[in-house]
Amino acid sequence: MIKSIEEYLELLKTELQGSDAATVQDALSDAEEHLRAALATLKQDQPDVKEEAALSQIIDQYGSPSETASAYAEVERRTVPQLARENPKPQSVWGHFFGVYTDARAWGSVLYMLIAFVTGVFYFSWAVTGLATSISFALFIFGLPFALLFFLSVRGLALLEGRLVEGLLGVRMPRRPLFTQQNLKWFDRLKELTMDRHTWFSILYMFIQFILGTIYFTLFTTSLSLSLSFIAIPFIQELFGQGYIMNNDLRYYAPTWSYPLFVLGGISLWTIFMNLARGIGQLHGRMAKAMLVTD
Amino acid sequence: MVDTPTLTKKFQKELNAGIASLVLLSVLDKTRKPMYGYQIAKLLEEYSGDASFMKQGALYPVLHSLENGGLLESNVEPSVSGPPRRYYAITSEGRETLVVWQGVWKQMKSFVDKAIKGA
Repeated sequence: MIKSIEEYLELLKTELQGSDAATVQDALSDAEEHLRAALATLKQDQPDVKEEAALSQIIDQYGSPSETASAYAEVERRTVPQLARENPKPQSVWGHFFGVYTDARAWGSVLYMLIAFVTGVFYFSWAVTGLATSISFALFIFGLPFALLFFLSVRGLALLEGRLVEGLLGVRMPRRPLFTQQNLKWFDRLKELTMDRHTWFSILYMFIQFILGTIYFTLFTTSLSLSLSFIAIPFIQELFGQGYIMNNDLRYYAPTWSYPLFVLGGISLWTIFMNLARGIGQLHGRMAKAMLVTD
Repeated sequence: MVDTPTLTKKFQKELNAGIASLVLLSVLDKTRKPMYGYQIAKLLEEYSGDASFMKQGALYPVLHSLENGGLLESNVEPSVSGPPRRYYAITSEGRETLVVWQGVWKQMKSFVDKAIKGA
């Protein structure tokens, strides 16, 4: 006999062991939302009903923890994130190397590397400002509520980053906010958030994202500009009569026979970068999952 | 010995797998306003009467997968009592898909009816 919603959620969590962490988080917040809404309605209709009896009636309709867990597992098996669908494996090494252009995940990673620069700068400023002001405001009465707001914003940003990671990198991330006990006083909520490993990992992620974002952005712009320059050399020399290296009045011209080599070099460089980006994207996704999703 | 209740349960579950999507899309198409999970479950309870076809908890993963496929959209709104609620609404793609699915269902239904009656 399940006595409280918290107990149901604990049991559901146990039942879901081994499933994707993001699925678990979704299932828990769905169950919490439903059970609380149902309980509130039932209490309104029958004020003198015992909570335990009400709950057992509600759970009977909602499904036992094991029934609910199997429903999620079933649907999860059928739906895989858009980008996680396996591309048909090309046979040769070359096919694999150039096949990167048809791989949605590689393009997603390239886009993510670009966006990571912007989000990284934002996360970093947010985390530094939030932490610094929370600590210094701790001297005043309003310091603690301020810290609570900051921690809550970190949770929100972690969820947002998760959506970005799932959309672009194809790594399954939570779609619902982490469930928390509702009836807590704000001070207890703050204590809970401060003690939670997840909060600090998310803040750490915000710092790391700044460094990684900068590296990704540099890699992206360097690769893109070098590749384009190589490809452009024949056109610059033939159409505009300029040398490929210009040092004051000295111009160096590449011989005509080398044109295909430059173009090929440029294309290969970009292809290498695309392959690199695909790998980086997968690694980054794994890191984000480890740091932003609670187990 | 044939374990009829277990087999029936399994049969019901397999039937539900596809029908739940059609039912949820239809409900959200009819109401024309966003609804949250518990509201949808209550409405379905009214439709099904005493017979309960599926557990309410099984509706949520289907809602997620419909949203994932772009047929539904959702947003979270705070509620006066309890945790914030996720409201689901049908998208225009969802409406188009629903028309197709209703067609499929109609054909399916007449096919099954004929098979059962042996017309």
